[in-house]
Amino acid sequence: MLEVRGVEAAYGPFLALSGVTLTARPGEIVALLGPNGAGKTTLIRCITGLLRPRAGGIRWEDAPLDRVPAHAIVERGIAVVPEGRRLFGAMTVEENLELGAFVPRARPQRAARLEHVYTIFPMLRERRRQITRALSGGQQQMVAIGRALMAGPKLLLLDEPSLGLAPRLVESIFDVLREINRSGVSILLVEQNVQAALTLSHRAYLLEAGRVAGEGSAAALLDDPRVRRAYLGPLAR
Amino acid sequence: MTPLFQQLVLGLLIGGLYGLAAAGLSLVFGVLKVLNVAHGQLIMLGGYGAFWLFALRGLDPFASLAVVIPAALVAGGVLYWTLFGWVVRAPEETRVKNSLLIGFGLALALEAAAVRLWTADERSVTTGYAGAVLTVAGLAVPVVRLASLALALALCGGLHLVLARWRWGRAIRATAEDWEAALMTGIDVRRAYLLAFALGTALAGAAGTLVSVGYSISPSIGLEWTLKALIVVVLAGLGSMLGTFVGGLVLGLAEAVSATVFGGPYREVVGLVVFFVVLVARPRGLFVR
Amino acid sequence: MTGRRSRALGLATAAALATVPLVVRRDDVLNFLFLVLLSVTLAESWNIVAGYAGQVNLGHAAFFGLGALTTRALWIAGAPVLGAMVAGAAVAVGFALLIGAAAFRLRGAYFAIGTLALGEILRITVGNVRAEISTLPAATIAGYRLAHRYYLALALAAAAVAVVAALGGSRLGLGMRAIREDEEAAEASGVGALRLKLLALALSTALAGLAGGLFAYYHISYYPAHPFSPTWTFDALLITFIGGVGTVHGPVLGAVFYVFLKEYLAIRWVDFHLLIFGLLFVAIVLLLPGGLVEAAARLGALARARVLTAIRK
Repeated sequence: MLEVRGVEAAYGPFLALSGVTLTARPGEIVALLGPNGAGKTTLIRCITGLLRPRAGGIRWEDAPLDRVPAHAIVERGIAVVPEGRRLFGAMTVEENLELGAFVPRARPQRAARLEHVYTIFPMLRERRRQITRALSGGQQQMVAIGRALMAGPKLLLLDEPSLGLAPRLVESIFDVLREINRSGVSILLVEQNVQAALTLSHRAYLLEAGRVAGEGSAAALLDDPRVRRAYLGPLAR
Repeated sequence: MTPLFQQLVLGLLIGGLYGLAAAGLSLVFGVLKVLNVAHGQLIMLGGYGAFWLFALRGLDPFASLAVVIPAALVAGGVLYWTLFGWVVRAPEETRVKNSLLIGFGLALALEAAAVRLWTADERSVTTGYAGAVLTVAGLAVPVVRLASLALALALCGGLHLVLARWRWGRAIRATAEDWEAALMTGIDVRRAYLLAFALGTALAGAAGTLVSVGYSISPSIGLEWTLKALIVVVLAGLGSMLGTFVGGLVLGLAEAVSATVFGGPYREVVGLVVFFVVLVARPRGLFVR
Repeated sequence: MTGRRSRALGLATAAALATVPLVVRRDDVLNFLFLVLLSVTLAESWNIVAGYAGQVNLGHAAFFGLGALTTRALWIAGAPVLGAMVAGAAVAVGFALLIGAAAFRLRGAYFAIGTLALGEILRITVGNVRAEISTLPAATIAGYRLAHRYYLALALAAAAVAVVAALGGSRLGLGMRAIREDEEAAEASGVGALRLKLLALALSTALAGLAGGLFAYYHISYYPAHPFSPTWTFDALLITFIGGVGTVHGPVLGAVFYVFLKEYLAIRWVDFHLLIFGLLFVAIVLLLPGGLVEAAARLGALARARVLTAIRK
């Protein structure tokens, strides 16, 4: 469904991705793991059209995606929860959510989806008239996920959704992601919290210095001693 | 004391137009991060539009808003496609600077063209009811200017509603806050820019029409109105159209006070001094909400 | 053009211009050349801050005006004109340093609109304080020699071009350009950005003040607020950009072109030159940031390439 093949991308002279190949199949949760600066966010920017790959190709539902303008990506059924959430802080919670359903494909069902998001995150219904900037980090993350869901995506990209959140909150966010996946949405998850990400996902890719350093099923990677040493630390169970 | 109060009334009346002039500039500046210093010349052209409609077709200046505003919308779209749309591709700092230069060239060209078309003379639209004056508590309130103030408020309020309720209005606000995030939610940012610029130009056209009724226009008023609008934008900040309108009223009142205290010729200086001081006090503050 | 060749060309041009009053006995020619030379000086002075330090100063007329105001007052009071002009430049620089530290807190477009406001503040104030027209005493008018003004203008324009040329190769100019490219990076590598910008502004306003003094010495009567008018800034900006901002020759080329068009077109169409220059300016900002100088260089390179391929054939 999503096929990334040999993608190279650069910021000016600095090469951030040098030949990344990965796939995400329908119904899957795929985790993208790796240290800071490995190129995870760059890959997300390539898929969402904010950065054009220098070489290689991205295909989505058997059509090239890397020539589609950034604003038309959502219309194809790919929504993103960006790093740092990137909410419209001066606007209300509900305005942010409704902007998630801005694209034509999402407009007919936006009332139903809004209801759906409020069922998943009841807290947001209470705060729907509040300015988003005034919310806590966890609540803002809920708005960001809700905004992406409003597009009715087939594939949901999440860039570090656990960043800066308390462990209990991370757990509940991941529970929500599992639910979303069960309803038929594929997920590509970029995470630093490797333990949580591998527990949630079906498969994972390890990204290091702009290339894929390893891949496999989540269960296998969790048991891989190299992964345990590199990402989970000596104290990991 | 009556002179001061009379001055304040007049200051409030023109302040509404300052607010309207600033609202358009603020919208363009806030959304595109483009500083259109030809905004005052667009106001000037709006004024001549109304003047023409009145002189050639006998159209009432307030009614001519119905013609001037759509025409200015289209003109704004054309200006965006031909000029300012090129600038928005650059990173923010270059963008502001280049837009300033382009606006400057445009201002000169528009002013020269206006001199050619309408001569350098001062004009104003003098309707049959132009002289009507309302007397409230001993203070004279020119009816035409009062109507202009009310219309300016209505237009700023209308823009506020458009930005708050209309689907693309929200898209414009989202783009102003974070254009990348707007792209990621599927908003065609270029179209949001185009719409914002066209709306800003439409407001300039409306402001010009109102200026031509209660006051006077000439090809050279552009710079003065750009400065007034800039002062209000700096005072009121970006983001709220109604806040901008109130900022305009404040500038009008401040000018009235300084004209009374320091004498008429200095009414402009006070606003400029405040402008410079505020600007220096928060040199990067214009985009901060 | 190499340094030596362009210096020789500059000296030759100056020498040729110096002989003009001896050969041509027509005031209209001298007046025209005077305007070109004054424009060269003003544009080069603006070019120092815009081209080398990267700051668009929209209040430049204030310094031109201060120079004119001071020079006129001292000269009419009996001071020698050169002394009065130096005093005028000193006042302009003094004011520049006074407001410079505050104004340079502003970056890019904010600097531009801030200085525009400053210029307007001065213009309105001077217009109010000195509202009556300033006319030379009858005795001075009787002894008026256009050639004196012309030579002074020539010397000043030559000095302005020399200053900008010298700046181009110097460490000072290098530091200024570093600021233009990236102020933070320049600071990080030890370039004192504020100090250099103030220095650029001082140089620029000294020349503008002198040019203002020349204006005061040249005109028989004018309104004291006139040299404060923003049109002087706009002239300098247009000439510099159209000629080529940040280059030595650009403002010279731009000034010749501008004054010619202005004088020629004014005969049939008031302000038409502004329409042309406004549009040309927009086109240059969008399409050809290097101005006429870059266009000439490109054409030259193109012609050379053509010739080379023709020879090879």
